[in-house]
Amino acid sequence: MSGVTSQNTNAEHSELRILGFLCNWCSYGGADTAGVARATQPTDLRIIRVPCSGRVDPLFIAKALFNGADGVLVSGCHPRDCHYSAGNFYARRRLEVLKHFLPILGIDPARFEYTWVSASEGERWKQVVTRFTEQIHALGPAPKFEDSHPLHAMVDMALAPLAPLGTGDPQLLSSVKEAIRKKLPELDCVIGWKEGRDGLHTVPHFIRTEADLEELRIGPFAIHNLATYLPNYKGKKIGILVKGCDAKSVVELLQENLIKREDVFLFALPCQGILDMGRVDQVLGRYQHITSLKTDDKTVTVVADGKEHHFPISQYAPSKCYSCTSRMAQDADMLLGNATQIQGTPQTPPELAMLDAMSLSERMAFWKSAMDRCIRCYACRNSCPMCVCRDYCVSDSRDPHWMSQSDATREKLFFQVIHTLHLAGRCTGCGECQRSCPVGIPILALRQHCARVIRELFSGYEPGTDPKAVPPLLGYQVEEEHIKEREWK
Amino acid sequence: MKIAYYPGCSSQGSSLDYELSTQAVLRRLGIHVVPIKDWNCCGSTPAHAVSTELSSALCARNLDLAAKDGAECIITPCPSCLSNLKATTKRLQDPAKRARINELLDNPVAETVPETTSVLQAIVRLTTPETIKSMAKRSLKGLKLVVYYGCLMSRPHALMDFGDPENPMMIEEMLANLGATMLDFPLKTACCGASFGIPNRPMTAKNSGRILELAKNLGADAVVVCCPLCQMNLDLRQDQANQAMHTHFAMPIPYYTQILGLALGAEPDELGFNKLIVPATKVVSHILQGTGGSK
Amino acid sequence: MRIGVFICHCGSNIGGTVDCAQVAKIAEGFPDVVYSTDPMYTCAEPGQAAIEAAIHEHKLDGVVVASCSPRMHEPTFRRTVARAGLNPYMFEMANIREHVSWIGKDVAANTHKAAELVKLAVAKLRQDHALTSQEFPVKRRVLVIGGGVAGIQAALDCADGGIPVVMVEREPTIGGKMAKLDKTFPTVDCSACILGPKMVDVAQHPNITLYANAEIEDISGYVGNFTVTIRKKTTYVDWSKCTGCGTCTEKCPAKKSFDRFNEGVANTTAITIAFPQAIPKKAVIDPKFCRQLTKGKCGVCAKVCPTGAINYEMKDELITEEVGSIVAATGYDLMDWTVYAEYGGGRYPDVITSLQYERLMNASGPTGGHIVRPSDGKEPKSVVFIQCVGSRDPSIGRPYCSGFCCMYTAKQAILTKDHIPDSQSYVFYMDIRSPGKMYDEFTRRAMEEYGTEYIRGRVSQVYPDGKGQMVVMGMDTLLGRPVEIRADLVVLAVGIEASKGAPALAEKLRISYDHYGFFMESHVKLKPVETNTAGVFLAGVCQGAKDIPASVAQGSAAAAKVLTLFAKDTLQSDPQIAKVDIARCVGCGKCIRTCPYGAIKETVVRNAEKAQVIETMCQGCGVCTSTCPQGAVQLSHATDNQILAEVNALCQA
Repeated sequence: MSGVTSQNTNAEHSELRILGFLCNWCSYGGADTAGVARATQPTDLRIIRVPCSGRVDPLFIAKALFNGADGVLVSGCHPRDCHYSAGNFYARRRLEVLKHFLPILGIDPARFEYTWVSASEGERWKQVVTRFTEQIHALGPAPKFEDSHPLHAMVDMALAPLAPLGTGDPQLLSSVKEAIRKKLPELDCVIGWKEGRDGLHTVPHFIRTEADLEELRIGPFAIHNLATYLPNYKGKKIGILVKGCDAKSVVELLQENLIKREDVFLFALPCQGILDMGRVDQVLGRYQHITSLKTDDKTVTVVADGKEHHFPISQYAPSKCYSCTSRMAQDADMLLGNATQIQGTPQTPPELAMLDAMSLSERMAFWKSAMDRCIRCYACRNSCPMCVCRDYCVSDSRDPHWMSQSDATREKLFFQVIHTLHLAGRCTGCGECQRSCPVGIPILALRQHCARVIRELFSGYEPGTDPKAVPPLLGYQVEEEHIKEREWK
Repeated sequence: MKIAYYPGCSSQGSSLDYELSTQAVLRRLGIHVVPIKDWNCCGSTPAHAVSTELSSALCARNLDLAAKDGAECIITPCPSCLSNLKATTKRLQDPAKRARINELLDNPVAETVPETTSVLQAIVRLTTPETIKSMAKRSLKGLKLVVYYGCLMSRPHALMDFGDPENPMMIEEMLANLGATMLDFPLKTACCGASFGIPNRPMTAKNSGRILELAKNLGADAVVVCCPLCQMNLDLRQDQANQAMHTHFAMPIPYYTQILGLALGAEPDELGFNKLIVPATKVVSHILQGTGGSK
Repeated sequence: MRIGVFICHCGSNIGGTVDCAQVAKIAEGFPDVVYSTDPMYTCAEPGQAAIEAAIHEHKLDGVVVASCSPRMHEPTFRRTVARAGLNPYMFEMANIREHVSWIGKDVAANTHKAAELVKLAVAKLRQDHALTSQEFPVKRRVLVIGGGVAGIQAALDCADGGIPVVMVEREPTIGGKMAKLDKTFPTVDCSACILGPKMVDVAQHPNITLYANAEIEDISGYVGNFTVTIRKKTTYVDWSKCTGCGTCTEKCPAKKSFDRFNEGVANTTAITIAFPQAIPKKAVIDPKFCRQLTKGKCGVCAKVCPTGAINYEMKDELITEEVGSIVAATGYDLMDWTVYAEYGGGRYPDVITSLQYERLMNASGPTGGHIVRPSDGKEPKSVVFIQCVGSRDPSIGRPYCSGFCCMYTAKQAILTKDHIPDSQSYVFYMDIRSPGKMYDEFTRRAMEEYGTEYIRGRVSQVYPDGKGQMVVMGMDTLLGRPVEIRADLVVLAVGIEASKGAPALAEKLRISYDHYGFFMESHVKLKPVETNTAGVFLAGVCQGAKDIPASVAQGSAAAAKVLTLFAKDTLQSDPQIAKVDIARCVGCGKCIRTCPYGAIKETVVRNAEKAQVIETMCQGCGVCTSTCPQGAVQLSHATDNQILAEVNALCQA
């Protein structure tokens, strides 16, 4: 029709940016059916056709929301009707996790919905589009990270532990050495800890000979989660010293077939807490030499450049120690002592409690300020025991090209979202990511929140507790107990 | 366990025999019950047809009295009372309905009220077939009986929790345990027509007649019942049924408690057998003389 | 890249509410777009020719058409660009009709939206790669599971088409439910007379291998290349020696064995041949009743067998067959009607199922075709049929209609009158469903010619009156009053359910099944024979209730699908499947765990575990791609980069 001329109306300005990911077989067909029925709909929605809702990586949605989408809608075949028999069952779990995850970033979860529309449900599709568009217009244009005013907040670490923290049994070290000495001939290597740049700072220690044993350090200095190194030693017999929390990473690696049980020999250490070196270093500031290092049952006392500092473990432990309920691995090959059973419900971790108390816009502002500091060193990734992609992390690949080289804060935070969602249902909360962050960003909070979502949605599922359990996002149930996806229509 | 007893209005008149035999059986089985003091109408007859709330309020007062008296459960012989007490207990779980019921009462109903159950189910729960058998003084051997439960005892299924609503077997199992031959009685939960006793007498006569006819055809010595209304309908109005159907049934309609009572050693007068319209003389004398022998 | 864009007016369908020329003009500004135009009808022959011409003239290596839904014309335009020498996957569509012009009248908004959708398509196209199908050889053999009439039809059609057929039947004889029937509606011709020859054909056809008394143990592989393990259940009779003479069945002393074929209306011997026309006509011992097998002493059959075929030590045997396609024709079973306590729950001998009634009427049945009451052997004069026993009844979780009961009930009423002229039949029905050819006329005949009394209403209770008859109490909802009928025999039209074990078989076939165990077709209307697993087809009641003509039709349809599949020596795979980047793969196996089709397997490449996509099994859902954290497995034509390009085209903060 030649009579139609383009008028520059305000459509571009009044419309909001809404993306839809529709499966080819049901919902895209449903949208076609609505079209065939001439069912008038708002014009904001832009549809991306995908083969199956199971193809919709939650990161596409996060990417869209980070890059300016005001709303994202995913629609697939009704449960049980999936063209690919189970794709929407996987989608349902992953999308539900995403929906619960978004608020911790400061993104309103109402900006993302997912639903099911069959190819015959044209009228329903119209209702879905109309309602979702109205919902997004009610929320208005999405706030942008870049526009947030910086909000600096400090984590309050004044915590009460579930059980008293301390430096552990001073006699333990010699018996640990003896145990390793006996086992060493059968193993290629035993991983522990040793003195690093000075007596206060430890580094991982790869024990191959009896002589190496003399340098072993444990107690409050057994800081690193050594499970990180295990997947590198595929095919070798490796002994490893594990605290209660480290053992969960080992179990999770076993759950995911990333290591073989018979290749690993677990020495379980009892643990009464370790030092949070970030806070210790903050107190010490710059110094030249440590002249004295003493440890009594509760406190590590350091003399640095002549000045004495006291570090009671009960005040200088990382947050995970305050909530610890498993001070010693139970399913180890060798138990080097015993630990008291701890009863009690872990409190909300302090990093997370801080974010919980904030509004959505405060959270966005907080992440804006926090992630500004990020130097994209990826120490968080490299220290993570579950990040087995290593050299093939999507953060530095062009195919797939998830991340740009841009130094934008939003891009830096997007990597944290990638990491967190890749770890959803797998992260054991060991905190290595945050510990290794050279600029002290409390990124663990994102993982802690995600773990909380997983617990709520999947009947208290805890990664790394059962070597036979299937991580929740790698499975599904036809009827999900805690997912009420049908409530959104 | 403190058990409250709700007798219901029939027990004071038309089903005095049910009341007597129930008390006798409970006594002999060592089940101690405390009647609810100052109990009132359960609201099942006129009230529930007119106003559910009024009917529930009447029931609620009884439940409240039992609760305040510290009872852990309430038992009642009458299925109609049972149905209404149970229904009211359920309605009280709905805050809106509870509020409306409370408006009609002087004192609000206790937050939690004891569970109501039938005397029959209470006997089954509190004893075992072995103990009843060991307590029996007389055998029911040689008696051919059918059980007629009526419409209410097992329905609605979800509320009454009485096993298969179409084919309950509780009394059959109880009396078979004592030696009686229990015949399969397909009409055991059919309608006896009692509710039409006044407006449509021919229908009542037909429904009752059907039940009596089948019992007769099957060769039953008696139709054992557990509901005062059924009993009245089948016994008191047997004559009307006979006239309508041109039959000459003389089928005794004893309560299960009367038969059980006899087996447990109670005397016929103590069990109110003299109150039956169609005499159960043959059945009674069979049990009294039989003691293990056959007809 | 050189991209051409075609904005279709579709007459006024799009052009009426979208300024197509303006969209074409905007598209000129999109990256890599070298040619943009707005034809009136792109899909018409001149429109397609114009695309081909433009590809040559402007040396295009990618084409975007903005028109109707790709579900409509994507295949059309892929062929168009292929004709002009482009790879068919260097093509994208923007749906500006169903998703734009038809759902809003605001021309400016529509034009803006259409332009953005074109931008999206261009962005996707810029990430597209040429894809080519793989060819793979096909094993031209078919497995038919189930030897009822649907399976028989499928097997014979395939075999006649030159395809070797492997038929597996659970029972000792083929024939299924139809073999048990007396006569069939609406012609009232003898079931055995029309089925029998087909059964013989199965036995004699050189292309058919029959495994009776056998079940499917395991199925692996994919379209064109399935490997099937079949469990031949032990019969205790060496069938290679058994001649079916029947001497053993005459002499067997265990005469109170349950007769499965006769639906338990009579007893049989522990060693039996199901019925005289059984195929294969071989004896089978029921180990539950055989005295030798239960008590260790008897051995009569072994003594009398003239060929020495009896072997009490026989064990199950597993055999493997290689096929290229599978037809599932597992039929149905009757639901357990004893949940209906009001019909006696199985307590009354004179309340029977319609299938039992068929055996009573059947001349080759236990009564020689004389209808008698199971309780006393007397001829019934009053027969009540109750329909919808376990059909259309949500209270027992059976909301569906069993489809053929209305018809066979009419047939049974007619046959009752034929057998016993002074009898009266009554039918309690909810609605009469007789939509087939000659069907409604048939039910009318039952009523009008045969005087069957049809009563619309449900039966509330059936009970014996104590004098030898059954009392049937029900409601006549047309007259609005209760009815009571004295019956000598009550026949229940029991609802059907999926064959026992159907869900377990569906899991082995990797096909879907519904809430009731019926197998799911690929599309309710357009693909009623296909399943979502390539190469697996459905025939008969296993897919949903249907009568004999419909089962036979679907059997033939399934055979046609098999023959179509086998018409070529090789199959072409859809190239839109997952691919593994071996370098990126760390061998964690998450994709293997989540693939709905088991289409990814572990392989070892230079001592490292890696994932490998089995190209012929991958259906292209992409669950693996959204599972793999390092993006090592990518679904072709819906890769991360392709979808990201679309997201980025729309959202660029």
